[in-house]
Amino acid sequence: MGTLRVTDLTVEFVSGGYKVTPFRDLSFVAEDGQLAVLLGPSGCGKTTLLSCLAGLLTPTRGKITFDDLDVTQLRGAALSAYRRRTVGVVFQAFNLIPSLTARANVMVPLRISGVGRTGAGERADQLLRDVDLGERGGHRPGQLSGGQQQRVAIARALAQDPPLVIADEPTAHLDYIQVEGILRLIRQIAAPGRLVVVATHDDRITQLADQVIELVPHAASLQREPVDVELEAGQVLFRQGDPSDLVYVVRSGEVVIYRERADGSEEPLDVVTPGRYFGELGPMMNLPRSASARAVSRAQLVGYSVREFRASMRAASDQHDPLPR
Amino acid sequence: MIVITLADLRYRYRQFLIAVLGGGVVLAMAILLSGLANGFRTEINATVGAVGADRWVMSEKSNGRVASVATFDQAAVQQIAGEPGVRAADPVVMLPQEVLRVGGRQVTVNVLAVRPGGLGSPRPGSGSALTGGGQLVLDRRAHVPLGSAVTLGTTALHVVGTVSGRTLTAGIPLAYMTLADAQAALLGGQPVVTAVVTTGVPTAVPAGLAMFTPGQVEAHSLTTLASGVSSINKSRTMMWVVAAIIIAALVYVSALQRVRDFAVLKALGSSSAALFGSLCLQAVLVTLLAAAFGTVLSFFLTGVFNQPLSVPTSAYATLPLVALVVGVAASLVALRRATSADPVAAFGG
Repeated sequence: MGTLRVTDLTVEFVSGGYKVTPFRDLSFVAEDGQLAVLLGPSGCGKTTLLSCLAGLLTPTRGKITFDDLDVTQLRGAALSAYRRRTVGVVFQAFNLIPSLTARANVMVPLRISGVGRTGAGERADQLLRDVDLGERGGHRPGQLSGGQQQRVAIARALAQDPPLVIADEPTAHLDYIQVEGILRLIRQIAAPGRLVVVATHDDRITQLADQVIELVPHAASLQREPVDVELEAGQVLFRQGDPSDLVYVVRSGEVVIYRERADGSEEPLDVVTPGRYFGELGPMMNLPRSASARAVSRAQLVGYSVREFRASMRAASDQHDPLPR
Repeated sequence: MIVITLADLRYRYRQFLIAVLGGGVVLAMAILLSGLANGFRTEINATVGAVGADRWVMSEKSNGRVASVATFDQAAVQQIAGEPGVRAADPVVMLPQEVLRVGGRQVTVNVLAVRPGGLGSPRPGSGSALTGGGQLVLDRRAHVPLGSAVTLGTTALHVVGTVSGRTLTAGIPLAYMTLADAQAALLGGQPVVTAVVTTGVPTAVPAGLAMFTPGQVEAHSLTTLASGVSSINKSRTMMWVVAAIIIAALVYVSALQRVRDFAVLKALGSSSAALFGSLCLQAVLVTLLAAAFGTVLSFFLTGVFNQPLSVPTSAYATLPLVALVVGVAASLVALRRATSADPVAAFGG
């Protein structure tokens, strides 16, 4: 019961005229009662993934199932019912309705689902007591601290007693005192009958997690021997949106760096000639490739891990050599 | 959703108040314009109706207009009085826009000369009725007190009584006097009249004259003002449009401010239709409040105008309906904001 299964999930969308792939072929499983943490830097697709889990975004490829329910196949009323009853969402910026009291905010999903005013009010009171805000139900969000607002948001997410709760950077706007309370609360609600998935770039939360899913491998911390790569003319080394791992130095031949536009055309950015390097920012920043690389002519390259690349750079600098060898 | 809508109205009450005040003032102006347009009709109806005639016999050249200066021989009165079916016939002289001198002041009046005690002879609200020459009964809008000495041309007159609600051509007060005085002062002493009014219906009228019912006289008299009335009505329509724009601007701004709320509500399972309904309800409530404020304001502003205003009951009765239409139309401009709100936007900082 309450098993979330993500299989070969890929999302592509267009931004600024370019095709963006936040993640490709992502797979993981999270079980009922777990606190699963999606860990990754900003821009790695955490929010996109949560949107897919919440039934707000349809992935380009792949499958999301929650128990026997294929979320990616839901449409119309079935999708609305999934959003209302199966999944509760805690937003990064709380996103409480500013004109409503804390109590009324918690009542919103219940009222949308057709629960009567009295029943919704009683449930909201109970939930606010559960998050230690029983006395603050009559306050508007503007009269509450950030931590209190996030507690109200958690109470709202729990209003329908959903078996899946997802939280997007729930501690991002909080000071360390408030963070402690919210983490304790999130840990508490991840109990049998409910799976909690938290997306964050804050690895402190991983200490509390039952499972940590790293969306981007820590390429910057990897250490491996340099790799020799030979490319035939026209052969693609990597594509825009691919995970970043190595920094490449061109030994011979030429490599064109280009962006793939949404309309299928290409925008050349640079032609890298022998002695020059490319692709360093992706692995350093733990970001997917922001452009593609393809050999213009037969080319020989050396691929370095970030650590090796830095070491080579330092050595080259000491020898007044502008490039690593 | 109604709770959220009402809460949002309370939360942003200052900007909604501005819309209610702005829209209300414009709607008050629309109501007053209705009153102005209708005032032309009511003053003609009141003046013609007060004569109490069954028929008006006037020169064919008059086209049935009460303020026509087309004269004919007074002898026609006897002929018409002798017609079968006529119980009484009295001469009338109507001379529009004459100038009375009251001390150093000039007052423009419409002269209605009648036979004292005859048809059309006024029943003053204060003072006494016309009994003979040298007397004048004036509408109160002339602001000439009882007993005042006035001159019309070279004829000296005294105000012996006042009436109210007797005006023509946009609030110009009527000045009742005897036929003889009017003929002497304004018609060079000629024994001519502009109409013969009767009780009973003459079977025939002398050549060159035509017979009109009071309703026809009212309708024909109003045609001379048709252009002005049409312009006022168009201005009133423009006022409705301005009110709609004010409300629409407010609702649009409100929708812009609530984009994140809409995204959250959609993420929580709310439908686009429900969100649009919320916007629509806000717009209608604001418009109804503006209409209520405009109605109250219009009562206070009525006195500002010299021209008699007669706001038709229908203007008040249809106001909520028009407010409803304006509100819905205004909310349409924000429709896209509500329906296109992307629930994914609820994520992120």
